[in-house]
Amino acid sequence: MTIDLILDTAERVFTDHCNKEIRDSAESGSIDDQKGLFPEGLWTVIQDTGLHQVGGRESGTTLADAFRMIRLAGKFAVPLPYPEILISNRFVTGQGLTTVAEGVIAPWARRAERVVTDDGQLVDEFDVVEGANLAGEPRDEVVFENSKSIELPPNFRAIMAMTRVAAMSGALEKLLELTIDYVGERKQFGRPISGFQAVQHNVARMAGEVAASTRASDAAIEALDTDRFVIQVSAAKVRVGEAAGVVAEIAHQAHGAMGFTHEHELHHYTRRLWAWRDEYGHEKEWQQLIGRQVVAVGADRAWELISDCAH
Amino acid sequence: MFSGLDFEPARLPPEAEALRVGVRDFVERELPGDYLRNSDFNEGHSAEFSQKLGMRGWIGMTWPKQYGGGDRSFFERYVVTEELLAAGAPVSAHWIADRQSGPLLLRYGTEDQKLKYLPPITRGESYFSIGMSEPDSGSDLASVQTRASAVDGGWILNGTKLWSTDAHRNHYMVALVRTGPSGESRHEGLSQFIVDLHANGVTVRPIKNIAGDEDFNEVVFEDCVVSEENLVGAVGNGWEQVTSELGYERSGPERFLSAFRVFVEFVRYVGASPSDEESALIGRLASHIMTLRQMSISVAAMLQAGKNPATEAALVKSLGNDFEKTLPELVRLFAPRLGPKHPLRCSLEQTLLHSPSFTIRGGTREILRGVIARGLGLR
Repeated sequence: MTIDLILDTAERVFTDHCNKEIRDSAESGSIDDQKGLFPEGLWTVIQDTGLHQVGGRESGTTLADAFRMIRLAGKFAVPLPYPEILISNRFVTGQGLTTVAEGVIAPWARRAERVVTDDGQLVDEFDVVEGANLAGEPRDEVVFENSKSIELPPNFRAIMAMTRVAAMSGALEKLLELTIDYVGERKQFGRPISGFQAVQHNVARMAGEVAASTRASDAAIEALDTDRFVIQVSAAKVRVGEAAGVVAEIAHQAHGAMGFTHEHELHHYTRRLWAWRDEYGHEKEWQQLIGRQVVAVGADRAWELISDCAH
Repeated sequence: MFSGLDFEPARLPPEAEALRVGVRDFVERELPGDYLRNSDFNEGHSAEFSQKLGMRGWIGMTWPKQYGGGDRSFFERYVVTEELLAAGAPVSAHWIADRQSGPLLLRYGTEDQKLKYLPPITRGESYFSIGMSEPDSGSDLASVQTRASAVDGGWILNGTKLWSTDAHRNHYMVALVRTGPSGESRHEGLSQFIVDLHANGVTVRPIKNIAGDEDFNEVVFEDCVVSEENLVGAVGNGWEQVTSELGYERSGPERFLSAFRVFVEFVRYVGASPSDEESALIGRLASHIMTLRQMSISVAAMLQAGKNPATEAALVKSLGNDFEKTLPELVRLFAPRLGPKHPLRCSLEQTLLHSPSFTIRGGTREILRGVIARGLGLR
């Protein structure tokens, strides 16, 4: 199956099996209705359709394809540790639900059978201190004594950052779609609010941020097998992280009080964006990484570095 | 993606990349060491430099050989223009002729016009100004009042064009004028003429800008006679003609690189051991430039493929212009009181003083957002 067919399949699966109710019940946290229920049904369908193996070494698909899938999952706010499932499947052999920890914090460690840490340890016996990010996505502390050292690629942190870039760019696109639909339907003063110039300009600004994010994310994926990958991911994490704040703000403003309710699905995307931009390095961390590279080549070669033409 | 927004992946092909080093070496050789480099395409009018570029074949690159062009791709032109801008070279003399007037003539001009006007442009000897805005027509271009009346064998022009950059230094203007009633669409009855800026009946008055420069002009036509051969395209087709080039006008590297030399001088200023905050700012600005560049190249690819990415081009310009205004605002906070000759201070001041024009020229931010909103189906 080509990746386009797989993406089509995934879109159908996500449309049919990933709704607001499932996302709500998967949320973990201190509020009564945050039950932290792992979406077992969705997980079963994903395994049955093989979508948990996209990007795997024997799947006939690539790591770039995995990022495309993660982008789509971001667009649907899939309440699974989906990036961690695909990335661990690519780099670690073995069975069972495997998650990846940033330091000692891992999505859904409470449900996982194994944990891979981003510094190259494989853990299969561990305790969990449950926690969550501000989107209510389980982010559990993994407590362990014994681990096995495994080999991860040297740019593994960039690969994990790329998962957040891809997921964010998907969620950003969803926010633009939701907002365009909403301002076209919502009527005030006798006409759809999309007719007001102030609203149009906010949505246009949002579209600019979303398009920049998509392009930055795609450019990083395109650079995957080159020595430009890390710098492109860095730039994308910076640019998309910045866009996340702007776009979430405009989306909420456009949706008014309606979008501030728990009942509306808008927050499933905005809260995830607020959380994901901080995971695997917020903007400033990656800004500094690029900044130091630019300074290292010096003013007169800064353009070469930026334009990828150091000959 | 959704309708109206589609930035397809694109890479500059090897034959385009191959030009890069040559351009870079050329600029280093030709620019005097004390030249204050500026990445704003409007700054730096040098006939000498333009002629040297012409000799290298770097003007009219995409035009057919029979008109002096290079039969090259948009990608190759892209590399040359972005290298010149990034290096801060003086390109304003030939810029409009190369980007806009030449392509307009290629598309709508007569064979005689192409043979007459294009070869001198490609040699870097003939420069054009834009004749669109007027005292009462800015963003609302369809409201232009300058009129051309048919007479025996030609036309008589009366009216005033405004904000025509370098009209006091350039040779020709392509003027958008009214030749008939505007009709219900308001877009009818417009035509374009090539006007010799040194002809009788043409008065060019420079207008000093806030930087103290005289770059743009008021151009008054008083019974200015132009011959039939100066009509570009068909009578009444002016609106289609002026809007057809917007994709080219709005998405190029000049729409996000205007402040680039401030970035370069800032990198030089912080030296080898920057603070974390300085590194972060440099990285932030670099991330924006890298992303805008990817978007701009994507539009170049769509143009090369014969598509009409009007919304995407408006979006690149809008994002890019906002960025080039933000860049000096962020850098200045890291550059305390520098001496009057310090390159960073000179670059910062020059860019700040010209920055109001970034979001006005070639389509204001407000117009562009309207174009984008239309592309998204909101209007």
